Amino acid sequence: MRRYLDFIGNIGLFALRAVRRVLVPPFEFQMILRQIEVAGWKSLPLVLSSGFALGLVLALHTTTTLVQFGAQAKMPAVQSLAFFNEIGPLLAGLLMAGRVGAGIGAELANMRATEQIDAIEVLSIDSFKMLVIPRIIACSIALPVLTVFMDVMGLVGGYVAERATSDLSVQLYISRAFHEVSWAAFIPPTLKTAIFGAVIGLISSYLGYTTDEGAEGVGRAATNSVVISSLAIILIDVVLVKAIFFLFPETAI
Amino acid sequence: MNGGTPPAIAFREVSRSFSSRAVLNNVSFEVTPGEAFCLLGRSGMGKSVTLKLAIGLIQPDAGAIYVENDNIVGMGEDGLSKVRSRIGFLFQSAALFDSFSLHDNLAVPLKRFWEKKPDEEIKTIVQKNLDDVGLGKEGRKMPAELSGGMRKRAGLARALMLDPSILLIDEPVSGLDRVTASEIDDLLLRVRKRDNTTMLIVTHDTREARRVGDRVGVLDNGNLIAVGSMDELATNKSALVRALVSEAE
Repeated sequence: MRRYLDFIGNIGLFALRAVRRVLVPPFEFQMILRQIEVAGWKSLPLVLSSGFALGLVLALHTTTTLVQFGAQAKMPAVQSLAFFNEIGPLLAGLLMAGRVGAGIGAELANMRATEQIDAIEVLSIDSFKMLVIPRIIACSIALPVLTVFMDVMGLVGGYVAERATSDLSVQLYISRAFHEVSWAAFIPPTLKTAIFGAVIGLISSYLGYTTDEGAEGVGRAATNSVVISSLAIILIDVVLVKAIFFLFPETAI
Repeated sequence: MNGGTPPAIAFREVSRSFSSRAVLNNVSFEVTPGEAFCLLGRSGMGKSVTLKLAIGLIQPDAGAIYVENDNIVGMGEDGLSKVRSRIGFLFQSAALFDSFSLHDNLAVPLKRFWEKKPDEEIKTIVQKNLDDVGLGKEGRKMPAELSGGMRKRAGLARALMLDPSILLIDEPVSGLDRVTASEIDDLLLRVRKRDNTTMLIVTHDTREARRVGDRVGVLDNGNLIAVGSMDELATNKSALVRALVSEAE
């Protein structure tokens, strides 16, 4: 138990250090752009394919159920609400935790094991600012954008599934999909992924940056980054969903 | 400190432990400006820790460490930054940045210290330093594409980018064949002759210590058990010291 409390306390201190350093120059714009490319652009194929596949599967399941209640016309609305509210943000977050979180944890742990972080410090460069801050910022910028792509591909998958069984036009599908979606149902859940991204960047960076187990620590940092980031996202999601319902009551289905 | 020219590096009764294991125990020594001082010892005897202490990467539990008259123990980041700008560090693994090309690895220190230096000038300096270590045509390569010896030479080139007055060198020839090791030693001797750079070299290779070092200190279980020239150490009362030194003959 004490080990877990220690871990949470250390993550908290690491986060405080990040908050303090983020506002102090020099600002590592080049590193941030580089990390956005790694976290965002390179994750896009995974997000697009996953979103499409999940949209397809979800539509197949919901259509079967909705047909039983004579509500097949509601399928596009169910699809969009499900993706905008929860599936898009959460799945994009979990995918990023898997792909990017593991990468950050392994990369920083490897840099620690091969003395690259020491080499940065020796050059009088603040390694925390150069390595950790850009990764946290990049994750929190990239994830909301990836979430939008995930949402769109979910709707595309849903349309493909619908099209296989009916003659529903694209215009009508889009019209039905967005008819019951307000901005409040789209923007807060999408923006909450910025917090997911920051959490992924923070936890993965902490595990990689602070490892002291040499080469063995690289694998451990990668695995733990995925497991702990994913768990943290799910737990934080519970709190954020409740907060969104409180702030935007109309979004509660 | 005594009057006259201060030592380039001075350890005064420095101790350092990790968990309950004492890695350095009341270690004191001085390296005079322009001298090449080798720390010799078996693996795990605290040699690399000594180098990291000398540049403030880790702090001692007790004692004082002077770099050109500045006590770096407890020194703030700004002070350490100034001290580090006078020191080059060649890591055992060379510690090149994996995601940067060789050219960019060498450019990092220049870009950080001279933000307003034009890119063309940085490129010229990087090329000159790569040429100096025989890697003039390899600038575009990534570290993963280099052999062990090339990585060491690249690490040395990066350590020399800011024309340091002190060079800290961690096991420069470990993992290298005898011929490549000899090339690295030649390089160190050339740098020293050219720039009169003070060198603190950590090694377990007694042949290297004899060839490159002016004086040698022997570390054993965290204690500095002997200091002197290799010839002086050959008649030391400690059997371990004599055994170590005889390996080089």
